[in-house]
Amino acid sequence: MKRISVWAGILLALSPLCIHAEPWAFDEPVAVTSTHGEKIFHHLESSGRRNIAISGDTVAVAWEDDRDGTPRIYLAHKRLDDEAFAGEIRISGPGEAYEPSLVALGDNRYALAWEEDAKIHLRLVTPDKLGPVIMLEAEEAMQSSLTRHDQGLLVAFSRRDGRYGLVSMQPIRVDGLALQPGSGCAVDPEPARAEQLYPAIVSLGDRIIVAWEDRRAGHTIIMASQSDNTKSCQFHGPQRVSDEIIDRTAVYGKGHGVARVALARYGDSKVLAAWADKRDFRAGYDIYSADYQPGKKQLFGTNVRVQDDFGGLAEQWHTTVAGDDSGRLVVAWDDRRDDNADIVLSWLEDGQWSDDFVVPGASGTGEQNHPTISLDSSGNLHLAWIQRKSVNGPTQVLYAFGRLINK
Amino acid sequence: MRSAVFLITLLFMFPVMAEPPQGYPFQSFDDAMQQARTEGKPLFVYFGRYGCGYCEKTNKEAFSDKQVREAYSQHYVLAYVDAESGKRLRLPSGERVTEREVGTRYNAFVTPVFTFMTPEGEELLRLVGVQRIEDLREADIKVQGLMSKQGAS
Repeated sequence: MKRISVWAGILLALSPLCIHAEPWAFDEPVAVTSTHGEKIFHHLESSGRRNIAISGDTVAVAWEDDRDGTPRIYLAHKRLDDEAFAGEIRISGPGEAYEPSLVALGDNRYALAWEEDAKIHLRLVTPDKLGPVIMLEAEEAMQSSLTRHDQGLLVAFSRRDGRYGLVSMQPIRVDGLALQPGSGCAVDPEPARAEQLYPAIVSLGDRIIVAWEDRRAGHTIIMASQSDNTKSCQFHGPQRVSDEIIDRTAVYGKGHGVARVALARYGDSKVLAAWADKRDFRAGYDIYSADYQPGKKQLFGTNVRVQDDFGGLAEQWHTTVAGDDSGRLVVAWDDRRDDNADIVLSWLEDGQWSDDFVVPGASGTGEQNHPTISLDSSGNLHLAWIQRKSVNGPTQVLYAFGRLINK
Repeated sequence: MRSAVFLITLLFMFPVMAEPPQGYPFQSFDDAMQQARTEGKPLFVYFGRYGCGYCEKTNKEAFSDKQVREAYSQHYVLAYVDAESGKRLRLPSGERVTEREVGTRYNAFVTPVFTFMTPEGEELLRLVGVQRIEDLREADIKVQGLMSKQGAS
């Protein structure tokens, strides 16, 4: 890591003195759950990394932990002006449950989708009430990603179709706290020729976009497809999102690795895809992004590296992205440039990615990783992450409020 | 017909996608950890990924060596981790994680990474990137020496 410090020093000396103030001032972190200790492991994981949401005057965080020996889904919430989280709720049933995807509906309502015993389950929850659980019919289904659409929900997930995982989407009707699944479809009209995994989904109202990991190229690539017929669940043929890097001297292998795409809607019908990308194979995964470009031949545009040159010398993991209607857009990840994992942000600033910002309170001694973020309607940033003293030690879920200070 | 059979045989001998090398008893990380503890044998963990060119090169040019195969199959419990996979396994601590997360914890930021570990999971030696036959043989001698020292002390 000394090598990285030397390079960082050189880069600092060479870089122009261009200092931008960060948009958010972060409060001291608070614990999301009081249930932690030896042999309890919390995970903030979901396909598309949506584990935090804001509805009405509350913020909620959904995670999985094994406090009773079985991985289960829990949700905690707090009023935005309260200091501490309260009202921890168990969401999942008796089976092993993983990867809760959380979205906000209006009126302090939240929707969750998760995997339990190899099926996708969903339910709504308010600070006071739990809606009934529904289970989708798809067998061997996992990696669900949830989004709001019209007055209801859309859930994308990967289900086993013979040999391969096949990314599918299903609309869910919402009536109070009750959910009713509609007819779904595969997001690639052609039969799967290779694994399709870890989808992320967004709705623009008249269009639905799903991106996922795809192995049809002989290595993992990011692909996406679009539906502009939201009534009948039909998608256009998928397109590649992550660049094809051709190395004509390569004798072996099919290409570089990518992993875990996240999508966020921002501004007026804009969408950003962000993912971990190993095209610079010496330095491990970097964070790359691409913008949705409606009306153009290519569904997503040029791949752009998000993290700055300092980050380019270390490896990045666990990409997540959040946007708001005003056009604000921020990407978060964890990053080992200082030997331990810290939470790092970069935001869109005059059309370019800002210098990286290591979040105070989510950095320093110990391991801070698996971030999940959401912007509220005032542009404040809500961040939750996993804290552990050592790489394999017990965990805590922490939350920090980032008050917007520079618009 | 004969050439078609030969071609199919070749395909099985040298899979196009990077996977653990043929002819080695690689198993999942958690099963291998358990076996290593039971038998008191060191672990050899291969962190690869789907389509990894340097994994394929090492498989064909180094793991194909008979002496390497014999030494590694005898001396170690062998584990293969697809560092991009969502397959779940259980760590010795009891934590359920994906193979990708195991790759993150053991800093498999490139592939291949080869990590020699004690049965308790303590790292003894790490090899990063393409390996030659002599690299694998040297590493084996070094790790066997370290294990002997540990056993003697």
